Amino acid sequence: MTDSKYFSTTKKGEIFEMKAELNSDKKEKKKEAVKKVIASMTVGKDVSALFPDVVNCMQTDNLELKKLVYLYLMNYAKSQPDMAIMAVNTFVKDCEDSNPLIRALAVRTMGCIRVDKITEYLCEPLRKCLKDEDPYVRKTAAVCVAKLHDINAQLVEDQGFLDLLKDLLSDSNPMVVANAVAAISEIMESSPTAAQVLELNTSTTNKLLTALNECTEWGQVFILDAISNSTPKEEREAQSICERVTPRLAHANAAVVLSAVRVVMKLMEMLEQTGDYYTTLLKKLSPPLVTLLSAEPEIQYVALRNINLIVQKRPEILKNEMKVFFVKYNDPIYVKLEKLDIMIRLTNPGNIAQVLAELKEYATEVDVDFVRKSVRAIGRCAIKVEQAAERCVSTLLDLIQTKVNYVVQEAIVVIKDIFRKYPNKYESIIATLCENLDTLDEPEARASMIWIIGEYAERIDNADELLESFLEGFQDENPQVQLQLLTAIVKLFLKRPTDTQELVQQVLSLATQDSDNPDLRDRGYIYWRLLSTDPAAAKEVVLAEKPLISEETDLIEPTLLDELICHIASLASVYHKPPSAFVEGKSGLRRVLPPRSQSGNVDEANVTAEVPQQQQPTVIPGADSLIGDLLDMDLGGPSMQQMYPPSVPTSQTPIQSSVAMDLLGEGLDSLLGPSTLGGDVLGGLGDIFGMPQSQSYVPPQEVWLPANKGKGLEIMGTFARKQNQIFMEITFTNKAMQNMGDFAIQFNKNSFGLMPAQPLHIRTPLPPNQSGSTSLPLSTNGPVQKMDPLTSLQVAVKNNIDVFYLSCLVPLHVMFVEDGEMDKRVFLATWKDIPSQNEVQFTINNVQHNGDTVSQKLRNNNIFTIAKRNVEGQDMLYQSLKLTNGIWVLAELKIQPGNPNFTLSLKGRAMDVYSGIHGAYETVLHN
Amino acid sequence: MGGILSYFSGLFGSKERRILILGLDGAGKTTILYKLQVGEVVTTIPTIGFNVETVPCKNLKFQVWDLGGQTSIRPYWRCYYSNTDAIIYVVDSMDRDRIGIAKQEFVSLLEEEELKKAVIVVFANKQDIEGAMTVSEVANSLGLAGVKHKYQIFKTSAIKGWGLDEAMEWLGNTLTQQK
Repeated sequence: MTDSKYFSTTKKGEIFEMKAELNSDKKEKKKEAVKKVIASMTVGKDVSALFPDVVNCMQTDNLELKKLVYLYLMNYAKSQPDMAIMAVNTFVKDCEDSNPLIRALAVRTMGCIRVDKITEYLCEPLRKCLKDEDPYVRKTAAVCVAKLHDINAQLVEDQGFLDLLKDLLSDSNPMVVANAVAAISEIMESSPTAAQVLELNTSTTNKLLTALNECTEWGQVFILDAISNSTPKEEREAQSICERVTPRLAHANAAVVLSAVRVVMKLMEMLEQTGDYYTTLLKKLSPPLVTLLSAEPEIQYVALRNINLIVQKRPEILKNEMKVFFVKYNDPIYVKLEKLDIMIRLTNPGNIAQVLAELKEYATEVDVDFVRKSVRAIGRCAIKVEQAAERCVSTLLDLIQTKVNYVVQEAIVVIKDIFRKYPNKYESIIATLCENLDTLDEPEARASMIWIIGEYAERIDNADELLESFLEGFQDENPQVQLQLLTAIVKLFLKRPTDTQELVQQVLSLATQDSDNPDLRDRGYIYWRLLSTDPAAAKEVVLAEKPLISEETDLIEPTLLDELICHIASLASVYHKPPSAFVEGKSGLRRVLPPRSQSGNVDEANVTAEVPQQQQPTVIPGADSLIGDLLDMDLGGPSMQQMYPPSVPTSQTPIQSSVAMDLLGEGLDSLLGPSTLGGDVLGGLGDIFGMPQSQSYVPPQEVWLPANKGKGLEIMGTFARKQNQIFMEITFTNKAMQNMGDFAIQFNKNSFGLMPAQPLHIRTPLPPNQSGSTSLPLSTNGPVQKMDPLTSLQVAVKNNIDVFYLSCLVPLHVMFVEDGEMDKRVFLATWKDIPSQNEVQFTINNVQHNGDTVSQKLRNNNIFTIAKRNVEGQDMLYQSLKLTNGIWVLAELKIQPGNPNFTLSLKGRAMDVYSGIHGAYETVLHN
Repeated sequence: MGGILSYFSGLFGSKERRILILGLDGAGKTTILYKLQVGEVVTTIPTIGFNVETVPCKNLKFQVWDLGGQTSIRPYWRCYYSNTDAIIYVVDSMDRDRIGIAKQEFVSLLEEEELKKAVIVVFANKQDIEGAMTVSEVANSLGLAGVKHKYQIFKTSAIKGWGLDEAMEWLGNTLTQQK
């Protein structure tokens, strides 16, 4: 015999024994065997080999045995997808069984068998069960539809199950309705087409509300969730829903209460904010929320996280309930911290005394995290309630006196914030703060202290000594402290330049030469250059008045808050993150609040539109504080990349002509007199020939990105000036084997501030071997940075494959604006005014045109001939042009008859553009 | 040892005999099963999987397995072979086109090691329809003459109930004698 015997099925062992028992004639023995199999399965042994034998036990009158077999099937059908087909007939039979429990069991198991091959056979039994006479079967079938939809959405939609499911919403049994709602909600989340079919309307909403009172608590949660996901059409409807939902606020189940709160919070948006009913609702919302806080700590925490959102959205609801948020000694830490947060949000001048007393108490507790947060909370109170600031500061001072290290550090951090809110008000306490200088060992506290010293350097006599003492260990400090120290010393220097020169040089060299932190180095260089070029400007920049901070920086951003309000009673409201942030595969179906009520006439609508802005606490937009941050505070501020340095355009002011005429000029003056010809004549010519005003020259497209560098994407392009605007003519060619899409474009900072004026529109997908072209209008309002060469433009193009970077040259003539024609007198004055060393001559070779056509050609490209003169047989054309950034350039073009080589003299204030303009002349005249 | 055990249980008449009803799809297997069990013709849908019922016959109890006949299910017949006492092979006498396939399946059935001792009963079904193949035609098409098993062929109509009782009686007798 060969070794193949080792591979033949074993005739021994556990599996074999179970197999034999499964095939036993005795029902009892069979049942025992199936139990053994299930037991093995539960502990993780692979008993999938017994699949056919177990399936053969499926047809039995014994409910217990049947349940066991079904359990086995749910587990192993996936590992034996082919064999699973043998179970189908039994399902079909069981779905017609006289016992509703068996029917329901069968339909539930069917939904759990995720095998593609057999799903189609299960449609008929499922259809029957959806119309079953027994509500338990119908309810189970409803859930099964959702499961089937998950396996094969197309099948469910084609077979009309969605309509059957919708019919169940009108079922007489509330349990069926609740389960149908649950199934529908689940399907709607995954499929937009199904969502259209299943959209709730007024009448179904009413049916749901009727079922609401009768079904189980979890059924109520499903129904409330569904109601909160649909938006009523008008205020009256919203109000009637609220009326019917509010009784649920008194339910014993926290989930029901929170779901009801969500519905009401959402619909309140549609109610008139001044109406009686609105006020009533506000009153009704508070007791249930308070009640939740007497539940177990875990539920308290969930409630608190939700309340945190509610308080931000509608502070009115809980404004009088401050006391319930006072911390109990035995609260778990997570509840304590959350309560503190809400306390601060509810603080107002009326209750500040009470709150402060509490917070002071908390600050002496033993839990370090909690104490820190309490100290911080005192600071936030000071910032929020101006009247109480003084009391807060004295409380903080008391706490500092305790000399408890972490209390002192935390207090200093918040006192820094108080200074930022109320500058020049409490500096008397600085002396006390300085006493604790040596105990500070946390970066944030050190940085805060240094900031305070720098900010008030002029009032601290020994500021230089204090800062110097920090400087000793500069290399070992946290970057945050280093940056702060740098700024503080620069501030000190600007305030007391006489005796701190050495110090500032020391810190600048430490920051720029001995540090490998780019932020620090950059800031060091900025200060260095500022100080060395213009100390007065440095003073203006570094010691500029900073915007005050507000207490609302920690509020959730309003659009996110609105979204989270729609997710009250879900995980999103606990995390304070939208579901898309933590649910994998959750497509961006964002929930939004219904539009605000706009009852009344138009005027009133306008008013109501503004009211919320006043009610809504405003969040400081990041940008406001950016400059302040850049030069000053780094404590948790946004990173450097987010900011644009103030753009410093390379232009100078347009030349104004108030200069008196110098009649003894260089012969140019005679231009003013008779020969007003130039422009007018040419203008006339333009009209006669019906020349469009700006038919500027468009260079042919050139390859900017070859396909081999663009992973199959070839980009060709050029620039044109049409209708007073610059366009980027761009052609994408797909030389790859797959479709391309998701095109987007971005420009790097460039000399003329060019940026796309609108998003890139390309017909997508772009199939292989096809091209798509577009004309992208550009604006010149983008960030400016001088490039070398001047006309270089760096472009990033993105598609579904990658991001590509390319660089191209913008022909300068597209930057010449239409109003570049200078008045003659101004031209003359300007020409004289510009020093002669700014005049540069170029030669343009081999031009085959005479003076008039040259003028016309140039004019089409916004180079305007202002005057023309004939000197000793040579034609002299005087021209002007203006760039988009306001730079004027004057030109004199000398044409000798019979000589194809022209001489171009340029005169302007910015000589950098000369070569580009010469290039533009060449281009225009040779094309 | 199993043989002695089943011998004793056979004496008390309580032993269930395991019988498979096989055949191509649409031959009438499910109809035959329920005609045997409840004595009525029930409406059937194609069997995706199997049916199993207990049918009393004289002093014996038959556990009758009706397996689906569709191409996709036929490979799984073999899972049911072990311990099988008899096979009822149902042939649609009207389906001349597929008689060849019916023969192939029949032949491969007979080659199975596990079915060596099984008694074979062939039902030439649907004899109530005019133009059906005769019993001898069916027998020839299946090549019954060369079969080494104990076998018999019956002319049946499940709808009319023709031939079923005789066939079961023969089967009952044969199985009783075997033990």
